[in-house]
Amino acid sequence: MSVRLQSPLSCYAIVLPSLVLLTTFVYLPVVWAFASSLYEFEIGADSHFVGLAHYGEYLGQDPTAFPSLANMLVLTLIAAIMRMSFPLIIARLIYALPTERWRYIYRIVFLVPIVVPGVAVQLIWADMIYSDFGLLNELLRGVGLSHWTRGWLADPQTALASIALIGFPFVGGFEVLIYYAGFSSIPESVNEASALDGCTGLQKFFRIDIPMVLSQLKLILILTLIGGIQGFENIFILTRGGPGFETTVPGLWMYFNAFSFQRMGYACAIGVLLFAIIFGLTLLNMKYFKSSEDLQGVR
Amino acid sequence: MPISRKYLPLIAFLLLSVWLLWPPAEETTNAGASTKHPEQAQYVIKFAAGWAYLPDTHPFGIGKPLQGLKNVIRDFEARFPDTRIEVLTVPGVREYLVTQLGSGEAPDILNVNVENVWTDVQKGWYVPLDPFLEQANPFVVEQGDATKPGYKQWWDMFRYQAISRGKAAPDGLNYCLTFDMVETGIYYNKTLFAKLGLAVPETWEEFIAVMEKIQAHRRDDGTETVPLLVNIGAFNDWTTDLFFDQLYYDLLPGIDLVQDPTREPYLDGYLDWDELAFLHQKGFFSARDPRYREVWQKMRELKRYTNKNLMTDDLIREFVTQRGAMIWTASPMSYRLSGDKSLGFDWGVFYMPSFTRTTSPYASGQAMCVIGGAATQLEVSNSAIADTDPSLPMRERMAQSQRLKRVIEFLQFICLPENNAQIVNEYPALLPNIIGVETLPILQPFAEILDRRYTTTKWIFTFDLRFSEIQQRMLELYLTDGIDLDGFLHWQEQNLDAAVANMLKRKVPDMQRLEERWQALAPVRATMQDLPMEEPQL
Repeated sequence: MSVRLQSPLSCYAIVLPSLVLLTTFVYLPVVWAFASSLYEFEIGADSHFVGLAHYGEYLGQDPTAFPSLANMLVLTLIAAIMRMSFPLIIARLIYALPTERWRYIYRIVFLVPIVVPGVAVQLIWADMIYSDFGLLNELLRGVGLSHWTRGWLADPQTALASIALIGFPFVGGFEVLIYYAGFSSIPESVNEASALDGCTGLQKFFRIDIPMVLSQLKLILILTLIGGIQGFENIFILTRGGPGFETTVPGLWMYFNAFSFQRMGYACAIGVLLFAIIFGLTLLNMKYFKSSEDLQGVR
Repeated sequence: MPISRKYLPLIAFLLLSVWLLWPPAEETTNAGASTKHPEQAQYVIKFAAGWAYLPDTHPFGIGKPLQGLKNVIRDFEARFPDTRIEVLTVPGVREYLVTQLGSGEAPDILNVNVENVWTDVQKGWYVPLDPFLEQANPFVVEQGDATKPGYKQWWDMFRYQAISRGKAAPDGLNYCLTFDMVETGIYYNKTLFAKLGLAVPETWEEFIAVMEKIQAHRRDDGTETVPLLVNIGAFNDWTTDLFFDQLYYDLLPGIDLVQDPTREPYLDGYLDWDELAFLHQKGFFSARDPRYREVWQKMRELKRYTNKNLMTDDLIREFVTQRGAMIWTASPMSYRLSGDKSLGFDWGVFYMPSFTRTTSPYASGQAMCVIGGAATQLEVSNSAIADTDPSLPMRERMAQSQRLKRVIEFLQFICLPENNAQIVNEYPALLPNIIGVETLPILQPFAEILDRRYTTTKWIFTFDLRFSEIQQRMLELYLTDGIDLDGFLHWQEQNLDAAVANMLKRKVPDMQRLEERWQALAPVRATMQDLPMEEPQL
């Protein structure tokens, strides 16, 4: 059965419910959060207007602000590098396999770990790898380096790096799949032309393949930035931001302020600042990071 | 569409797997204890009982499913056919509390550390229990024996009066029913102690010596044994209070400014939040206070003998696999160890040994005080008075609410010794707080600890949650050598300044009264050594 829309009005009518829901559940909370950030209030108590004081307090007085922003930057940067390199190489290697059957098998192999919940992954790393008698310390003891053993997540020298390195060897199935889709969409004529011109191996990878999957790299970069700036669940599970504020990120501090310290307005101000950072970085990304379509002059 | 034959083995395998993995009938869980349908009941009371007594669960995966609370609820419902008690499993976290109470959707009876309640009592989220505790327990009265505790006042039924009454909020009201007790102890590997020729330490110096010997010991495979397993929560909470008490006890005659007529007989010398705030303004609990410095220095000394990672390790595992010689934890561990048939060693319990003058010139010589106390802390939420007009004052709502009456009756019912024993003594984890209910033999060491004097204060529960969060973070950093003592004290002072300012803003205490008392005690303090220099008020 086919339905023919009689007028553009019908299209608007169909889109309207989604728009209303989007506005209600996405845009209005953002506006509400901004408005709330101008008030000092806690759930169940009176509130009063403080203007931009929370922003000033966070950026000017809160001793956690800049260390946590630096932690966020480091973690996001490492995540971006990892997610834009290792999965890309793996996807390219899979793409290069000679038969579709093996390409399929490898895609599945890399995709299956996606079903393991993130919380479980964090706990496995905390308990099996980083604990006092975990894999890492036992390995060091085994090779006679007992003096190097430590509480990896508790030691201020190693806590942030330990968090950043969770997920080794950094071959996420989602990224592999996205990059693989990008490689698969490279027109055969391009591959043939490059082969005829003698462009093979690493030269082809850097000169042909990567430019052709820039859209995918751009997507992964944006998702990594958003996840890196907003995310704090893994840190909450592993270290709660400690020791001290060595692994605290702004999102975690926002959470503590909202639900533990009952400073909802202050938490909203941190949230709005994070929103502004993400928005700004996304704009920069859109403006300066060319996609493969841009390079081909499609737009 | 017929199923292809090639899938039959797969289907058979899946069915077999399901059959093999099907839980035994006796382990079928049912969080709700009631057999009554909600539509039959006029009052459906939601009870967040907490982990310890949740019907049909197996604490530590040991023994038969719990039935005690379920049976008592069944008896109560038989007595009150218009009532259904629904036992809920709810997260014991503040996020849950805040959102549920704010929306009026919280269970009628909560089980949460009452210190988390204090922050919000002014919002009308909780019902003060004093008017009920000061009245007779009607179920005791109907038994007709005027000599029984509870005949005159419900309060009289509680064995640990100091701890139970000490749960009063800073506004002087009691929002908490202390249902049972818990205490900490150091569980030790008796077999290892015997092998190394170690005795249970009685002083701090002996304790350090024991830990040094354990640290020097190597197991058969050449690996080391951690002397003491402990987590950062224990450092932040228990250790702080114990060490503080050891070093400040002798100062109490000169700094205990308020003697609350209701609580003083039970909480001799306890320093409340307003006293701590005032003393901090006078320079106490700062880098200039030598006793305060000593508290944290001693803690770092202790850290040398503990596990490296204070945050995330499964310490029980390390103890039962004998990678740790001692573990500092609470009484439910006794049940875990006694139920472990494959445990390859004998175990015992002792309490943290006290400081001597060798340990510190400020040591009082007192035995380490009680820091545990109330375990299951039951609070009645605003949901229990939901049948009244929210615009009315709390007292009027309490007087009018029929639902609250039934909630209180349920709490009174579970405090009857015969009911309390069914619940608390179903397995040995927590100690009964009701007179007439015996403590199970395996928990006797903890009962002896609980007979000691109560702590001078409970630091992390005194101020807001921000204070305790920052203290724990910076303490962990300090203990893992990420910051030196002066750096830590700088943070701690800032933290305390902010907490005190926040508390003064929210509660507006009568600081003039404290100042007058402070002046009156000046001659007493004149005889004391090494007091911090006074600072101008905030």
